[in-house]
Amino acid sequence: MADQIYWDDVSEGQEFSLNEPMSSQRLIVWAAASGDFYQIHYDDNFAKNNNLPDIIVHGALKGMLVGRLLDEWKGEQGKIKNWGVSYRGMDPARQDLTVWGKVTKKYEEGGETLVDLDVGVAQPDGTQTTPGTATVALPKR
Amino acid sequence: MAEELEDLTDEMKAAVGQETGRSTYEVTTQGIRTFARSVGYKDPKYFDESAARALGYSGLPSPPGFLGMPIFNPNAGDEGARRELFKNPFERRLNGGTEVEPIEQVYGGDVLDAVSRITTLELTQSRLGKMLIQNSETVYTRKSDNKVVAKTRGTGLSY
Repeated sequence: MADQIYWDDVSEGQEFSLNEPMSSQRLIVWAAASGDFYQIHYDDNFAKNNNLPDIIVHGALKGMLVGRLLDEWKGEQGKIKNWGVSYRGMDPARQDLTVWGKVTKKYEEGGETLVDLDVGVAQPDGTQTTPGTATVALPKR
Repeated sequence: MAEELEDLTDEMKAAVGQETGRSTYEVTTQGIRTFARSVGYKDPKYFDESAARALGYSGLPSPPGFLGMPIFNPNAGDEGARRELFKNPFERRLNGGTEVEPIEQVYGGDVLDAVSRITTLELTQSRLGKMLIQNSETVYTRKSDNKVVAKTRGTGLSY
């Protein structure tokens, strides 16, 4: 498990990320976990017949990868207040995706020490397909 | 016909704020482990209940965003199906985005009531043509203590 991060030690502009391989096997495990069995995510022929370059990564999986990024970053004492992403582009499978977060604001509100972030998912060439935002409460030292 | 639509229909306007679906979600320990595996978690607390209890959790915790699965029953008829509150003239659909607001920790064994409502409907011109943007919110309430454990919001695009 990651060490606990504290609000005091976070600064605006700070970035962190995960590099995630998107194999066909992984998409099948996600289909079982989520109940999304739409064939464009695991059936090569079905995807090609729908004019797609390859099977594509589920949008919801990308959203939950952002959730994992935040969960691991905040540590046991932090709390995710909310996060959201927009699905602006498709990500073909069988490539690595970078899931990233960047601190945009650090403030205190309602007795909590909070951090706002930009979040997203990027393809290996840097194309951003899943931009979003999040708010996380972090403990104070 | 869809391209000729100039404004929301009266049926569409009346749908805003209305309930579109009501389902029961089961959060099983196996579901939590499968979700955690697919998302790439390695944290032992999402796989090993004793590791979770050592950290102070009362059971196997659900990772943020995992709210279980609706109960699947092919013999249940239309119960739990989404209600069509208005005739949507657009044929193509896209998932525009998702937002999650975790409120209470969810655990393996929880059973949740999920109630969805349309929050806004907007007709707009997009690069794909005329587009209907539907925002919805789903509220998840744990049956055992009647606490709201999470809210999710989604954007559906029809064009």
